[in-house]
Amino acid sequence: MPVGPIHRDLPSTAFFDGTARGELLLRRCTACGHLCEPSTMTCPSCTGRTFDATPAAGGGRVVSWTVVHTRNGAGTVRTPVALVELDEGPWLEGQLVDVEPDRISTAMGVRVDFERAEGGEAIPVFRIV
Amino acid sequence: MSDPVPAPHRRPVIAGLGITDMTRRIYGRTAPEFAVDAVRLALDDAGLELGDVQGLLTNAGITRGIGLSLQKDLGLRDLRLLSEIQAYGSSAGAMVQYASMAVSSGMVDVVVCVFADAPLQEGGGTGDAYAASRATPAGFSAIPYASGLRGAPSMYALAARRHMDTYGTTSEQFGAVAVAAREWAALNPLAQMREPITLADHQASRRIAEPLHLLDCCLVSNGAVALVITSGDRAAGLRQPPVHVLGWGQAHPGYVRERGSEFGLVSGATRSGPEALKMAGVTIQDVDVAEIYDCFTYTTVVSLEDYGFCEKGEGGPLAASGALGPNGTLRVNTGGGELSSYYLWGMTPLSEAVIQARGQGGARQSARHDVVLVSGNGGILDYHSTLVLSPHPHA
Repeated sequence: MPVGPIHRDLPSTAFFDGTARGELLLRRCTACGHLCEPSTMTCPSCTGRTFDATPAAGGGRVVSWTVVHTRNGAGTVRTPVALVELDEGPWLEGQLVDVEPDRISTAMGVRVDFERAEGGEAIPVFRIV
Repeated sequence: MSDPVPAPHRRPVIAGLGITDMTRRIYGRTAPEFAVDAVRLALDDAGLELGDVQGLLTNAGITRGIGLSLQKDLGLRDLRLLSEIQAYGSSAGAMVQYASMAVSSGMVDVVVCVFADAPLQEGGGTGDAYAASRATPAGFSAIPYASGLRGAPSMYALAARRHMDTYGTTSEQFGAVAVAAREWAALNPLAQMREPITLADHQASRRIAEPLHLLDCCLVSNGAVALVITSGDRAAGLRQPPVHVLGWGQAHPGYVRERGSEFGLVSGATRSGPEALKMAGVTIQDVDVAEIYDCFTYTTVVSLEDYGFCEKGEGGPLAASGALGPNGTLRVNTGGGELSSYYLWGMTPLSEAVIQARGQGGARQSARHDVVLVSGNGGILDYHSTLVLSPHPHA
């Protein structure tokens, strides 16, 4: 299935401004420089609470993955979704696009891209590299 | 406090248990209606009246159907303790812990703990209803759903896959957990699914979120369970044999979402288990019966490892050995668990634990039931609680 619609809220405003221009914005702790996943409010490395937005380079690998089965009138739709570890360290869930589900395996390299549903914000998806 | 064991007359006891009928799907009733039924059943079971209740703790399920207004629905007056508790699948154990502390301190003598939920709609899919109610339309927390993940099965699928990749756990080993649960359920008149299944049935059941099949998933149910917690003194004259709450613990790991996370590999049981056993003055080798939160077959596997019933990574082979069934070496999920009896969050393992500790399990009763361990697990392994129950007070 294609990605679903999603709206921004106050904490995610900068993030979705980033995805709109093709950037996956991580949060870089201003105290220790640790690169954190985009929703982080307290740095897991130093407990710092102020961050700069830093674009991820875009590479990562599959930590784990599933193929979600949903049923509609025509049959079953298989949607592969991965838990991805970005090269910078943070984890993020994202749909795996343009891949045959039976070819997926853990530790595969991926590269971020963005897709958006009609009327929604762009969200990160991943392509096998 | 130098001595964690309260004075004998204030030691906490589970004195009443009420379970609404979940042998079939019941539609058209609300969570508060189920909750009122369960509370009245629990009080009858204990030999107490509504007027004896001094404290009420509620835990709402996915539909958020019950809360503080349950006091009014029950007609309870002049309560001295009232709160909504929410720690997802660890809530049932947590409620017993808070009630036990309230009783031990002398704050109140009789506390009722209740969980109720009614997520099933006639003609609707269980997974879809459950997933949709969790979806938030905006912000970071909505990204998993927008990406195609559909609630607990897909998130647990990610956890299960990680366990499989790391330790070599297989889908067939998960299947052995499902088969064992169904064998126990066949002996439990309270269970919804009592027809035997085979490993082949498990493998042939439709996929929900790979690697999980339908038969890896629990039975979402409409219903309620309530417990009455009181002091050892008060319980002495009541209707049922007392079930002593000997030990407890909670553990909420706070998994980081970055490199090095133990997500999927280790649960909070590694911390809450030893805490609860230590408080009870027993070891894992002393546990006669283990009632383990089994929202998915994988959850049983990872929990058994983390409590120390086997080495880390050996939960799959343990299940495949047949150890978990009625003819096995362990006494685990003796009522059929959430997989085959009913899924009322942490009340499923807790209710069966009370039945086993009392020795009222009928055909499924464990001959030895001096030490009964109860495991609650919530979120995606995020929230964990453990209880140690016994028909005997602290030695």
